[in-house]
Amino acid sequence: MKTAFWLGLLVGFCGVLGAAHFYPWVAPSRLPSHTSVVANGGRAERFLIRLPADRIDAIGDQKSGLRAGVGATAVALPAELEVRPLLVEHFKVRDTAGNVIGLAARHWSNTSAGPTTAWSLLIPSRGALLLTAPGEARGALDTALRGAGFVPGKAWIGELRVGLGAADKDAGLIAAGTDEFSGLHGHYSETWTVTGVSDSSELRGTIELDTVTFQGS
Amino acid sequence: MKYLVVALFGILLGAAGAGAVLYYNPLTAREATPSGSPDKTLHYGLPEDALQFLAGARVTLPSWPHGEDALWEETIASSALLAIVLRDEQGAPAAVATRLMAASRDTDFLLKGALVSDYWLLTVPDEGTMFLRADTNLWPFLKDTLVPVWYLGRPWHGPTDIRPTTGPGADGVGVMLGGTGRFAGVAGTVVENYTLTALDRASQQVAATGEIDLHGLNPVVASGD
Repeated sequence: MKTAFWLGLLVGFCGVLGAAHFYPWVAPSRLPSHTSVVANGGRAERFLIRLPADRIDAIGDQKSGLRAGVGATAVALPAELEVRPLLVEHFKVRDTAGNVIGLAARHWSNTSAGPTTAWSLLIPSRGALLLTAPGEARGALDTALRGAGFVPGKAWIGELRVGLGAADKDAGLIAAGTDEFSGLHGHYSETWTVTGVSDSSELRGTIELDTVTFQGS
Repeated sequence: MKYLVVALFGILLGAAGAGAVLYYNPLTAREATPSGSPDKTLHYGLPEDALQFLAGARVTLPSWPHGEDALWEETIASSALLAIVLRDEQGAPAAVATRLMAASRDTDFLLKGALVSDYWLLTVPDEGTMFLRADTNLWPFLKDTLVPVWYLGRPWHGPTDIRPTTGPGADGVGVMLGGTGRFAGVAGTVVENYTLTALDRASQQVAATGEIDLHGLNPVVASGD
């Protein structure tokens, strides 16, 4: 009888502690990665953002133009920051199959060395990536759209491809990564394809982040 | 039959003992111990400094009902996004940060606690952007404050100071992984502290003031002498 009690006690004690330690309490849902091998080594992967569906919000001053957001996606900055050159955008991120796989933040700011862009991509099942690049000129997308016939305040339909920030394929850097992305380096490019602007100045189109990563230094 | 009942009693008693060990376990209440004073401290108050907050459909938070804009997709249902204004010592807005958070696979209720992988993209206008990575341990807050006060209705003896940063750097500090502008190439560390100033279920009120301490932002440049 005593043996049964002590055995039970041990099983209960160790079982709970074992579960607390070994049970996978967090197991993020993971979809297959759509990657490909590139010539001379490395792994290519495209991350996709569809506008307006994947735009969460935009926080910036009015000089940031259409990307500063309209309606429900526009968030006001405090007055002290409104006058500073800053644009913060938040998106959901998809794989090339169109599945939402993560979240992204894009920060554009001006520094003494010129404008800079930084992307933080979080894919919960894989880790996070930091992408950095020289920033585009303020209002660059609006300028390109006006060149394609867009008139502010009016709807526009067409197709315009613009490289922003990391416009060239080597301009953007994979600056850091965690978990599965840890230890990777490489480059990326950022292409905005705008297919329309609504009456209310809402952008339609896609943002493509094309990354090429390499293991090691 | 008698043996089975006794064994079951033993199992229950053992499980209760293990529960008590987990509850009082000091290993899951470790805090960061940064060395030296911070190079920069930025402050925030919640909810007033939050520009945006979105949480995944599987994230349950006090006084925050899910709206239509919740992160409902399965892959991000345990994630959250917080955009926040950070203030300098004088209380003036000095930076904007986006905090992308996801429940961490390193969660371990025996050795580490309930961890959240916390990624900060923090921009100081005219200076640049830094990317910070921290492990945030929710367990002490859940165990000592939220569950007893919010869910069990016990009185709250606040304000409560919480130091949630537990890694991934040495001494339990968060790390700066990269940046742009002035912060490019800087390998600093970060620690977050916050004080819960209000927690009242009846009025659905939750408020906090917090700060993040940034260390190592001014690396020593070797002179040619």
